[in-house]
Order: sequence, then C-alpha cells, then structure tokens
Amino acid sequence: MFRSIIEERPHWRNTASEYGFTFHTMHGAAYWDESAYYQFSLQQIEQDIEAPSEELHQMCLAVVDKVIGDQQWLEKFQIPEQHWDFIRNSWQTKESSLYSRIDLAYGGNGPAKFYENNADTPTSIYETGFWQWLWLQDQVNAGKLSRKADQFNSLQEKLINRFAQIKFQHLHETLYFSCCKDTDEDRGTVQYLEDCATAAGISCQFIYIEDIGLSADDCFTDLDNHKISWMFKLYPWEFMLREDYADALVDSQVSWIEPPWKSVLSNKAILPMLWKLYPNHPNLLASYFEEDLKNSQLTNYVKKPIFAREGANISIHLAGEQVYASDGPYGDEGFIYQDYHPLPAFGDNFTLIGSWLINGKAAGISVREDKNKVTQDLSRFMPHIIL
Amino acid sequence: MKRTENIDLDVMRKGPKLFAFKPIALAVAAGTLVACSDSTEETQVYRSAEDCISGNPDQVEQCQLAYKDAVNEAVKSGPKYSSMQACIEDFGPDSCNSYTTQSSQSIFMPFIAGYMFSSMLNGGYRSAPLYTSYSRHSPAYGKWSSTDGALYGSSNSNKVRVNDNAFKPKPTVRRTMSRGGFGSTIAAKSRFGGKTSRSSWGG
Repeated sequence: MFRSIIEERPHWRNTASEYGFTFHTMHGAAYWDESAYYQFSLQQIEQDIEAPSEELHQMCLAVVDKVIGDQQWLEKFQIPEQHWDFIRNSWQTKESSLYSRIDLAYGGNGPAKFYENNADTPTSIYETGFWQWLWLQDQVNAGKLSRKADQFNSLQEKLINRFAQIKFQHLHETLYFSCCKDTDEDRGTVQYLEDCATAAGISCQFIYIEDIGLSADDCFTDLDNHKISWMFKLYPWEFMLREDYADALVDSQVSWIEPPWKSVLSNKAILPMLWKLYPNHPNLLASYFEEDLKNSQLTNYVKKPIFAREGANISIHLAGEQVYASDGPYGDEGFIYQDYHPLPAFGDNFTLIGSWLINGKAAGISVREDKNKVTQDLSRFMPHIIL
Repeated sequence: MKRTENIDLDVMRKGPKLFAFKPIALAVAAGTLVACSDSTEETQVYRSAEDCISGNPDQVEQCQLAYKDAVNEAVKSGPKYSSMQACIEDFGPDSCNSYTTQSSQSIFMPFIAGYMFSSMLNGGYRSAPLYTSYSRHSPAYGKWSSTDGALYGSSNSNKVRVNDNAFKPKPTVRRTMSRGGFGSTIAAKSRFGGKTSRSSWGG
C-alpha cells in the first residue's frame, strides 16, 4: 500500500457538475482530492480488508443478538426503554438491512484494526460507488494508469442487486427517501441511493425528514397526505428514538432502511462488547466501558462518546495526559475507552479506510485523509487502485 | 475484477437530458392505444347490502361481499379525523363514528352512505365506497363522493357515471395532524457553538 501523486483530470469539475456531484468542495476546502491515489495489492485487499470486514460484521451481529436479549445491555447502550420491544421485534423478524461501513486503521502491514461501525447512516457512498469508479475509468482511458489497474469497489452493483432483493418484500409499494434539509452532501447521497433503487425497478419518492407528517391514525404521511409504508432515512435512530414522533413508530408500521435494530449496531458501546466477546481478536482494539477502565491495563487510550458522528467529542489520552480533544455537541450518554492505535501516516497525512458491506458482503473501500489524527467530516476523500 | 463491471453513465448524468426522437409510426400507435381506455360507464349505487340484493335477487352473495369490500376500502383509504367535531363539520350530524387505534388513540370516520356495484360477465363484481355530506358548507353536500374526495353528482340519484379508475383502490389518504416531529435533534445540535455550516448528519 502506498500513496502516489497523479495529474488531476483536466475537466473533472465540469464532469462533476454534469453528474450532479455538488459537494466535492465544502466550506472552501477540497473534499474530493484526486491529486494523489492509494495503491493496494490484491492480497492486501482480499486478506487484510475484505475477509476481516466480513468477519467483523458477523461478530457485530453476534453482539446485537446478545444485547437485544438482555435488558442490562440495552440500558448500557442507552436505548430508551419504551423502544426495546420495537427494536427487538425488528431484530427477531430479521428486517432487511442495506449497508454499513466499517472504519479500519490499516497501513499495508499487519492486521487492520477496527475503529468503529457506521451501520446506520454511513455517508460517502456516492464518492465511493460511483465517483472514484469514474475517476479510474477516465485515468485509464487517458493513459495515466495501467489497463490492469482495478479497484475494490463493487458497491454500485451490489447496491442495485440488494435493492432488487428487498423489493420482493414490497411489491407495489413506493420507497420514500429522506434526509435533513440544508445539506447538499446528504441530499446527494440520498439521490444516489434513490438512483440505485430506481435501477432495481423500485418506485421512489423523496421527502425531507422535517416534512414527514403524522396522521390522526398514527401513520407517517408525505406532503400529499399519502401514507408512508416504506422508507429509507439518512437520519440516525438514536435521534429518532428521542424525538416527538418516536411514540408513533410502532403503530405507523413503516418498514425502515436501515431497520431499527441498527441502533444497536451503530452504537459505540459495541466496541467494549466486542472485546468482551472476542478478547484479543487480531482485528480488535482493547475497549472498555467507564467502570472497567480502572482494572484494564490501558494507559494510552481514545475516549469516544457512545453517540457521536464525524469525529466530534473525541479525546486522546497518553500516559494519563490529554493530548488531543475535538469539541462537539455529544457525550451526554457516556463514553467508551479504546486502546490508542494511531492511523498510519503517509507523508504528513493520516489515512483511514472505510470498508463497505452490502448485506454482510464486503463491497469496496473509501480512503479518507486528514492532516489531523482524528478523521473529521471534512477529511479529504482519495481514490484508490489495486495493481 | 473487484469493481462494478459496468455503469450506465447516461443514467448517472444529472444535467438536462437531450431530447430523444421517436419514430413517428410508434408515436401514432401509442396514441391509438391510449384513446381506447378513456371510457366511462354508468354504475348502479346502492345504499346498503339489502338495497343491492333487492335490485339483484340472483346476486345475494356478491352484494354482501361487495358491501364488505367497500367498508374495508373506506377504513383503509377514507377520511379520518382526530375529533368528532371536525368530522361532523365535514359530514354533518350523526354521520360519524369513533374508532380506537392500536395505540388507544381515538379517531373519527364518516359512515359510508352507499357503494358502487358493478357485476362482471364472469360472475365477479367490482365495488367502491361512497360518502355523502349532510353539512351545508361541505362541497359534498347532497352529492356522492369517493374516498379521495372526487364528486360524482347528486346523491338523490341511484346511478353515477365513472371511469375505470373509480373502482381501483385509492392511495391511502390520511388527515395529517402535524409535521416536523422528526428532525428536532439536528436543530439543537446545529446550534452548538454557533456552528452555522453543516455538511452531513451521517458519518
């Protein structure tokens, strides 16, 4: 695995606007960065990333099973008690999941280390599934990359196939896609998933999260007052379960993508649980709940809120001293402690691998780069190749 | 190969699409087909299953099943209110009934005033519920109305003229009582530290 400089495609910004990729530059800074790429060997991809990702996913599902069957763990995971049955039911009836992204620290050697699981609202899927795919095709056609260059990225193909499978449980139903207002990135991400669902033959509509209505008989409604029965939401369960409409979730009988049981899977409390169930697994970092920290041997650790996104409210502690802290609005629900295992550095960049899974199958990777040790929402997205 | 084999780039483009010319012969054929399905028919309206049976003594079972179907369709896609008063305002006194949802919430729905019944050659039938309003300020006052609010003429008449679509199940129209019950957390988190810009609520 190494990082190579490459010439940018001369007109890529025009191409981006042609394809509706509007968020390649955010808040004045580059988000999509094709001035360099990462190169992996096929062996690195298959042995060090693909296989462990699928294994880690299965281990996470085993944790979900344990947590959902045990009141003590549901409390520990900060799942509101009035929703336990709702979540349990979604797990027991095996409600279909679409996707997730596992974040890995991997620099080309040794086992990839599991940072966390974005199993509910993973983003950067358009950049991964389509945009970096197009970059490879363009650069090969321009003679800048070898014709033998490949990419670990069957994401779009697998997404469409998965939508086609789920469709059989929803004949004649409309799938509503939803995200929050005022974010180009989320709207673009949801548009991409809508395109994939359309390609799978599903009839789709869009509504903003804030516009969802509630009817007299506890149905969620669209802006035409039609009942919503099937919905994809790019909005975290941990928020939804605490908002005004949470009480209508059971009666509304909506089939959700991702399903409610993902609220357990995307929770950072899953990290100490994994360590309890699979101690010393080569892809895991030692992780503890607050009360177990004293008895652990952990001296260098990262403190992460149970609920948080985009690198917010994370602090690094080395030999008893806090050496880094990001601010943010999270942390009310408690923290977990994870063994300090810094991201590999390539030049002065810290690099994080996002490994995508579609229904449990490894489907490709995204590579994010940051000058900072903690990957945040504006970390640059870099393309990659296999050669 | 570890990547998606092929992506249809035309589908992925979001800019304005080029106009696609179609051969004239095809367009003409399509136009002819469309014209055929645009017909209406006169359909009998009955105010009860008994009313239907007295008009069709040889179709007792069909009349009863058609009534049940109409009631079920009304429960599914008919108007629903959160107060008795709101229902009475639209449909008039003694026209509404209360129901209790699974979450022990009370909702109010008008009674159906009748149903369209049309028997088919193969011995089957088609039916759809009809409402009427006894409230003078309702547009449906003295008229037959469908679950989605379409008006079909005077409710004194026992016949309505409708097209095929009138018998198809309606998209389930609800009375939305509120909006904005999801999305409040992000409003709160956005205010944090005066951060006005935001990119994603995913991760």
